Amino acid sequence: MQWIPEYRDDVKRVERFNAVARITHWGHTVTFLLCLFTGLALFLGGIDWLAAIFGGYRGAGLVHRISAVGMTIMLAFGTVFGFTGIIAWIKDLLRFGMNDIKFLLIFPFEFLGFKVKVPPQTRFNGGEKGNSMVTPTMVILLCLSGYIMWFPAIFPSSLVRISYWTHDLAMIFATCMVCMHGYLGSFHPGSGESFWGMWKGTVRADWAQHHHAIWYQETYGDKAEAE
Amino acid sequence: MARLMTNLYDVSKCTACRGCLVACKDSNQLPAVMEPFKGNYATHEDTNGNTYTLIRFLEHEDPVDGVRWNFLKYQCMHCLDPECMKVCPKKAYSKTEFGATLHDEAKCIGCQYCTYACPFEIPKYRKHTDTVTKCTLCVERVEEGLKPACARTCPSGALSFGFRDELLEQAEERVKFLRANGFPRATIYGKVELGGTNKIYVLTDTPDKFGLPVDPKVSGNTWFWQDIVQPYAGWLLPIALGASAISFVTTRLLADKNGSHGDHAEGGHE
Repeated sequence: MQWIPEYRDDVKRVERFNAVARITHWGHTVTFLLCLFTGLALFLGGIDWLAAIFGGYRGAGLVHRISAVGMTIMLAFGTVFGFTGIIAWIKDLLRFGMNDIKFLLIFPFEFLGFKVKVPPQTRFNGGEKGNSMVTPTMVILLCLSGYIMWFPAIFPSSLVRISYWTHDLAMIFATCMVCMHGYLGSFHPGSGESFWGMWKGTVRADWAQHHHAIWYQETYGDKAEAE
Repeated sequence: MARLMTNLYDVSKCTACRGCLVACKDSNQLPAVMEPFKGNYATHEDTNGNTYTLIRFLEHEDPVDGVRWNFLKYQCMHCLDPECMKVCPKKAYSKTEFGATLHDEAKCIGCQYCTYACPFEIPKYRKHTDTVTKCTLCVERVEEGLKPACARTCPSGALSFGFRDELLEQAEERVKFLRANGFPRATIYGKVELGGTNKIYVLTDTPDKFGLPVDPKVSGNTWFWQDIVQPYAGWLLPIALGASAISFVTTRLLADKNGSHGDHAEGGHE
């Protein structure tokens, strides 16, 4: 059994994510997971063994705060150095349309491994568009509410009380998306190739054509090549 | 449950000598906390990590009664159903047999959830121990058959200590007396507020004249967080993980059935 698809450099490959996008992505992966596990130790009602991994609750609290600052830095890094990329990303999200709705309706079957006919997708398919909208929003909410909880004395009490449930809810939604995203971007046979898009920056051209036909046509198709 | 033992504080007898504040500091070995003068006799604006109790000084100008100068000994109310205990993720709070809400500093990690869950925002963060602290109702003294330090030291008889039911009867008598003798708005505070508190006040005026919430309530935000988000929303996480695990198995089973060696080799498509 194969875990993720093999990286093939003997076939034509096209760029999917540039270096800034990849650094921002993996920077968020590391800081998010550190924050998640240190935070879960408290959220789940005091999991002693989980806290012990980080040196007890105080250690976990320290790791949580350091990772949170790291995550904020990654947000700033991505925004500053990848500004054009973010604009292009948002533009692609705004192309949400009929094909994406069809995709979302069919996707549960593909998710389980059935062969289905998927309408052509732009750079990000319907599911990726959803993830792209939910996860960053939740991460920004986590950052904002997190700093309010970290320095409650300088904020109004009502805002601190709102932050507590916001932080929990945003964590839950973000973690749900991260679970699915992590699985689909690696072990899921259909979309596993996208792992290499984020790890090495390129994906197989035939995979891109098959999964993101509109994007491929616009970026690497005959017309784009001619220009 | 054993009989509840509590403090009764009668503002009409209080001379604001602040003996209770000093006795509390002494008994709990708390250092002095200097705050700048803010045009008020009160030594502190609010409780802090090293000040479990304080006397509030409140001036009111009433068109009928003229100027009233109200004093209030302010500290943890030891609610019978304490919200601080519910939100604490480390379960550092407990209720003692006689009704004190006790906070265990050894378990505390200084998250301050309790500070903002408390309708009075009484528990306060103390930086040098990185924990929250508050009044203990002198549990170590009471368990040895003594009175809390504040009640022991009170020279005017404003503070007394005893069984809650007996003190409530005394308080009702006192309120009747005060109402008949120039304080028509005298009231008991802590009998029914927040489902009852294990500190009882006899006030000479309405609670708002003492800086107390007339109808103290746990914030809706805290309720939503504790009773909706924490118990139910977390189940989304195992669902997401479970769905991925199911898909991991079914995609591979279906691929084997189709005879091809997984879709992986072909990059996930035919």
